[in-house]
Amino acid sequence: MKYFPLIWAALCRKPVRTIFTFLSVTAAFTLFGLMIGLGATMDLVQQRAHPDRVWVLPRFDFNGMPVTMGRQIAKLPGVKHASIMTYLQGYVGDLKNRSGAIMLDDEYGRIFSDWPPTPAQWDMVRHDRRAIIMSRRLATQFHKKVGDTFTLISETVRADGGKAWDFKVAAIAEEMPENSGGYIIGNYDYYDKALPLADQSKMNEIDLQVSDPAQAAAIAQRIEKMFANSGYPVRATPENVIAASNFGGVDISAITRKIALAGLGMILFLTASVIAKSVRERLAEFATLKTLGFSDTGVVGLVMAEAALPCLAGALFGTSIAAVLVQILPGILPPNFALPTPTLSPAVLGWALISACGVALASTGLPILRLRRLDIAAALSGRT
Amino acid sequence: MMLRQIIAVTSIGLRSLPQRLWESLVIVVGTGCVAGVLLSMLSIMEGMYQAGARAGDPRNAVVLQKNILFENSSNIPRSAASIIANAPGIARARDGSPISDASMIVFVPAQLRKNGTQAAMTLRSFGDKGAMLRQGFHMVAGRMFQPGKHELIAGAMANSQFAGVGLGDKVILPDGEWPIVGIFTTGGLLDGALVGDTGTLMPAVRHKSFNSVLVRLASSAAFATFRNALATNPSLSVDVMRMPDWITRGNADFNAYFRAVVYGVAAILGLGALFGCFNSMYTAVESRGREIATLRALGYSGLPIALSVLLEGAVLSVAGALIGAAIAWALYDGVMSGFGSDVFFLTVTPPMVAIGIAWGIALALLGGLVPSLQAARWTVSDALRAK
Repeated sequence: MKYFPLIWAALCRKPVRTIFTFLSVTAAFTLFGLMIGLGATMDLVQQRAHPDRVWVLPRFDFNGMPVTMGRQIAKLPGVKHASIMTYLQGYVGDLKNRSGAIMLDDEYGRIFSDWPPTPAQWDMVRHDRRAIIMSRRLATQFHKKVGDTFTLISETVRADGGKAWDFKVAAIAEEMPENSGGYIIGNYDYYDKALPLADQSKMNEIDLQVSDPAQAAAIAQRIEKMFANSGYPVRATPENVIAASNFGGVDISAITRKIALAGLGMILFLTASVIAKSVRERLAEFATLKTLGFSDTGVVGLVMAEAALPCLAGALFGTSIAAVLVQILPGILPPNFALPTPTLSPAVLGWALISACGVALASTGLPILRLRRLDIAAALSGRT
Repeated sequence: MMLRQIIAVTSIGLRSLPQRLWESLVIVVGTGCVAGVLLSMLSIMEGMYQAGARAGDPRNAVVLQKNILFENSSNIPRSAASIIANAPGIARARDGSPISDASMIVFVPAQLRKNGTQAAMTLRSFGDKGAMLRQGFHMVAGRMFQPGKHELIAGAMANSQFAGVGLGDKVILPDGEWPIVGIFTTGGLLDGALVGDTGTLMPAVRHKSFNSVLVRLASSAAFATFRNALATNPSLSVDVMRMPDWITRGNADFNAYFRAVVYGVAAILGLGALFGCFNSMYTAVESRGREIATLRALGYSGLPIALSVLLEGAVLSVAGALIGAAIAWALYDGVMSGFGSDVFFLTVTPPMVAIGIAWGIALALLGGLVPSLQAARWTVSDALRAK
């Protein structure tokens, strides 16, 4: 710590250079934070996937399946809860504002208890047929607050011939990191009973919870077999398998790592050039230090610290900017499509600091070699 | 006179570049990273765009359920399909029948070849005019499916992306195993899909209505006739679009989002490179202080000196952008990629390289502005005193 004034003086010798190095490093680490944070979200989704949950979807088609299938599945041995859901798609006000709600039965909230809505909020949808839970992002987008009416205009025609579906915003809940596009949760019964008789009692998805996660794959297979020759063949998949195949098979983590690396490569050259230049300009100063009795290691330490300080500060500052951007970005980016929100976890900051140290270390390699071979007499007389 | 000065100063500057190797490399590497990352990400969009564009035959129009843009959620009842096929404005085959194809698509479970994860493939149906309506459709191996038989054909890229959809493989559908009897290509997005006979597939997957109707327009002007005929028919509730328009609209949301992400990433990285450029050019001007002062003393004016600083930055950044573009091209151009059920080749095109170069030049100019003005403003005595 006592050498800090020495390092500080070195950095302040060319303030413009130091500031711009810091800014460049900050930009690179802002990107690093966003990219590695996005990868962290992908990992998180996979970690959080519950191996005891199985999703059952139509195998070939998205036409409705009869709700009785849900009851049949609920009766299978090893199945703790089974729930059904369907989607209501449409738009709000203008065709451009596409939106949709997932209409869930009473069991759903118990199976997906890890979702953001609280038990009290789930109960609101269970007890009030017109109630919906809206995610904060959509509530902001559509300017809704609790108690407001929300109208979705859909191609799904109601029994009364109308296409406008009215809901009451009962609660506003937090976002899911894997689904930054927002969500609306409604009551299946309300939806179903509003449909013409011929369209009633259909659903698009069955989700179930098994008592023993080890049995999930076997139960999924059993369900597939059960309906293989029916009018509604299904595909049943444990949630962790689905999480592994997210984003259309695109390996987001690999792409984000490459982009983050490109940023690091860029600042590596910058810091290397700056530190090399700084050392070259101050050879006489280093020679003086050596004359005063500073060891080789001490001088090397000073150079490294001089490189590391802007890098670490940039890493810290850059990740902080990324953390702020994560909050703002979903509102700025075009709607109707969304990547997961990056998670700026302590681990991401950790990786940023480690990378910053790595960059500082790598960039000081050449100058350090030069310093170790420094001819003190020559340096002091300015002959190098 | 001015031009000669600019050339003279720039050439002196460029010749002294090796002495400022590291600073120069910062600009080259910085712009190289920006251009490389930008082009690599754009190659995904370009690949999807080109595959879509090849499927978007401008001679064709597509009919979908009203207000529904995506084929898989659109329903066209059989009764509507025959009205559409008999509407005016459709080109006729040699036998006088309209060139129109009502078809369905479903997604069938598949497995990604590269890592075995779950995926879905598109299974599309063709009627007797289906192949005729797809630009460039031809078989590359095996034979066409026979209508009425449980047979499929697979796109040329399907088997490289998904496991078990090669010639001779069997696909499990509700009515048992359907063998793949041929491999086709169109050069477009369909090449990642499976295709079967409409009349055989629909009952098998229990589809009651079609998803869309594709028609060949009699002429480009016939589009209005065709659209009006459908719009004024009270028994229909459909939208009509020219094929390329439909593909553009269908991808609009995804493209807008992805473009924002790509350029956002490039902008943050670009900001980093910009500060780096500024740093390097600032250092370069500083280290050339004496040289600049001498030139000023010899009677050179400030402008050529400022311009030469900018020009030098631009040369370095263009070199960097070209290297970045070359790396993006070498790594990704022509690499097969997939997004969901779509399979396409990543593509790096010359216009994209031009975008990369433009970014490089912009970075150099923005980063070099202040240093170059500073160089131009230096008085002889200041510069000679500076070390």
